[in-house]
Amino acid sequence: MQSVLKVKGMLAVTLLPALLLYSFFVIIPIFWSAYYGFFEWSGVGDASFIGWANYLEVIKDPIFWRALKNNMIIVGASVFGQVPIALGLALMLRKSSLFQRFVRSAIFLPMVISTVVVGLIWGYIYHPQFGIINSLLTAVGLESWTRPWLADPSINMYAVAIPIIWNYIGPYLIIFIAALQNIPSELDDAAKIDGADGFKKLIHVTLPMMWKTIMVAVVLCISGSLKAFDQVFVMTGGGPAQSTELLATYMYNNTFMVYRYGYGSAVSTMIIIVSLILIVISQLLMKRRDQEGRGI
Amino acid sequence: MMEQKLVLEKQAPSMTFQIKKVVFRVLKNGFLALFSLLMIYPLYWLMISSFKSNEEFFQHPYSLPKEWTFDNIVRAWQIADMGRAMVNSTIVTVAATLLTVFLGALTAYALSRFTFRLKGFLMMFFLLGMLIPIHSTLVPLFTLMNEVGLLNTYWALILPYTAFELPIAIFLIVAYMSSIPKEIEEAAVMDGSGYWGIFFRMILPLSVPALTTVAILAFLRYWNEFVFALVFINDSSLKTLPLSLAIFSDGFSTDYGLTMAAMTIAVIPTIVMYAFFQEQIMKGMVAGSVKG
Repeated sequence: MQSVLKVKGMLAVTLLPALLLYSFFVIIPIFWSAYYGFFEWSGVGDASFIGWANYLEVIKDPIFWRALKNNMIIVGASVFGQVPIALGLALMLRKSSLFQRFVRSAIFLPMVISTVVVGLIWGYIYHPQFGIINSLLTAVGLESWTRPWLADPSINMYAVAIPIIWNYIGPYLIIFIAALQNIPSELDDAAKIDGADGFKKLIHVTLPMMWKTIMVAVVLCISGSLKAFDQVFVMTGGGPAQSTELLATYMYNNTFMVYRYGYGSAVSTMIIIVSLILIVISQLLMKRRDQEGRGI
Repeated sequence: MMEQKLVLEKQAPSMTFQIKKVVFRVLKNGFLALFSLLMIYPLYWLMISSFKSNEEFFQHPYSLPKEWTFDNIVRAWQIADMGRAMVNSTIVTVAATLLTVFLGALTAYALSRFTFRLKGFLMMFFLLGMLIPIHSTLVPLFTLMNEVGLLNTYWALILPYTAFELPIAIFLIVAYMSSIPKEIEEAAVMDGSGYWGIFFRMILPLSVPALTTVAILAFLRYWNEFVFALVFINDSSLKTLPLSLAIFSDGFSTDYGLTMAAMTIAVIPTIVMYAFFQEQIMKGMVAGSVKG
């Protein structure tokens, strides 16, 4: 009996501190923001209950939908940029020679750099006057292609997506290399006997073996792209004229720049809902792939 | 005659095959070298620019500095108050990293070495945290911390940093601790060790590899963290490096040498860390992200 009590005491002491801290800072805020979404509150004074007004305003605001669309552009850029680039590189980087290891470290390097620094450097790279992109274009005689990359609303969302791709290729590369190394070597031999080589082997043997990993990477891209904030905030702040607004910058600008904490809470709740929907969709995507795999 | 032709025919395709292979390899390595350059160049440019005067930066933005000047670094330290920001970042990062490793290890000990009714639920509950987008908690955390008077203190960063890193920390440490054989504890119980004795004298020292990985990942994340600092810290004497950089680059936006020098100061600690712990950083970040 005494030892049971001892175990219980031990468990309480080991689990409670983390549990309290985690609940207070990670879990409770979700419910807190859903609740505060029903209030008009400027941060000082009393909050007044206004029912669904904030939530309705969010849904009716075209800028919210533009932000959502921009987030989807980031998702698309990650899925169709990061994944193929990382996969292609992984196919070339399976060995562990000194050169190959160097290339791998170089590709992973941006992962340890502050996202603020990444945003600032790329802001300079895109700079209309001395930025390297415009300088290069001028140097090769394509002066007509130069433009203010971050200010031109017709392309700035894509310009903003490139540093994000650049920033996060590393982990996908490592995931793909690990998956490639897990393909049993008997399959390689079998493919050789069947006469499949090079490109044929890639299409018929290697890629099918990688499907599951590729799907995991796609799911990671989707959840990761919703977290995009820092680089965009530093490069454009969501502007000009809110053309590069993301859900997170929209939330920030509508809360801390204009002191509308109730409205910001409603937007926060919408961000949670959007990410839940995306997580469910990507889980379904994974499941279907699994079943198809079993069917074959 | 016949024989000679046959030999030639046999050799010819293998020759072209050899040449093809070499060409392919040269192309591949050339491409890889170019791609590495693309990844490293922005950082290299940042570093060389911080040793140039502003005039030289505008005249020759891409060449090596003709005259290496430490003037920018010194001014960044003084004018931009990078020294103060460095101290703040160090305090917050070290405190939060220690707290993360300690709480993570403690929680993982209970979740990996004991069986109890709520174990599965608690594990799920903690892992759930990896799915929650940090930005959606900014407004409520701001108001919550405002109410309890935590805003504009080091704790306004240390506590939420730790809370949001706990899921990954617990996940990584539980995975490691579960692999420690049960016999070790049984032997310790025979020797009369209590649970705390087992934790501090056996499990903790045995888990050092996992704890190191968690500490390195936490350190990097806290050192680079921006958005919590942006929202929870207003007092300029408490600003961390990324926050100072973002604000400073706005104010001195035309003094590029100075801004680049300030960035170089902020980036160097993480690059040193990467140089030493590359393998652990790669594996740890991938393990954490795959689960999340």
